[in-house]
Amino acid sequence: MHIPDGFLTPAVWATLDAAAIPAVGFFVRRAQTRLDESRVPLLGVMGAFVFAAQMINFPVGVGTSGHLVGATLLAATLGPCAATVVMTAILVVQALVFQDGGVTALGANVLNMAVAGVWLGYLPLRLAGGPRRLPLFVGGWLSVFGAALLATVQLSLSGVAAGRALFASMLGIHAVTGLAEGAITVAAVEAIARLSPRFVFREEG
Amino acid sequence: MKRLTWALGGCAVLLACLAGWIASTSPDGLERVAQDLGFAPRGTAVLAGSPLADYQARFVHTRWAAQAAAGLAGAALLYGFGVLFGRALKRKR
Repeated sequence: MHIPDGFLTPAVWATLDAAAIPAVGFFVRRAQTRLDESRVPLLGVMGAFVFAAQMINFPVGVGTSGHLVGATLLAATLGPCAATVVMTAILVVQALVFQDGGVTALGANVLNMAVAGVWLGYLPLRLAGGPRRLPLFVGGWLSVFGAALLATVQLSLSGVAAGRALFASMLGIHAVTGLAEGAITVAAVEAIARLSPRFVFREEG
Repeated sequence: MKRLTWALGGCAVLLACLAGWIASTSPDGLERVAQDLGFAPRGTAVLAGSPLADYQARFVHTRWAAQAAAGLAGAALLYGFGVLFGRALKRKR
């Protein structure tokens, strides 16, 4: 759901760019105090892994594909603050190097996936007190659906299409993609937990 | 920990290499909706001309290999970012 350049009107993308910069700055500073030292070696491999996993598009219905976003997976392993920073780095590299997602729309994509996506994905883990199966699945679904909802609001504000059709199709597709996100998140976190149980995120304190 | 780092790194390399073979090339959710509702032509690229645009390394001429090269380069960039960010965090403490 990376929004390309040209879909958002300048008023919308400029506002979101302006909002994204302090938001990411805030989480960078918080990661400094919140990220557990033992997780530092995971920052690089988790970023590389989620980036590569995002390249694998799988079919969602006929003629449409989706791919892992990985916001909940990052939150479950790095904690939400560092997850926001790593996801932002992924989106920046995708936009600047791979032309996946717009440069002007970078603020929108960061707010949708790295901020809202990560924190919506983290919410069920926090409420359940740990990364068990159900909260991981719900978190994965919620991160994709929530990010898609925000993207749809931004596209709607930019007047790309009639609101009702836009919301129905965007939310319909991403409600399905979210199920795959949830399932992959559960499988990935369980595999990580089997290899190294203490690296699955418990509680940030 | 070592085991986990190697496993994740290995998976990243494997996924980046396999993407050209196994990934669906259908439009993603937003691209599909943009086509269906007719706003796809609005899409532009402000920053044109990256040698790795669209996950295809321009200097490699086989499609899957071009994608693998682009994917490996991207994974390496993010690994590098994580290492530098981790170092910056440690230095600040």
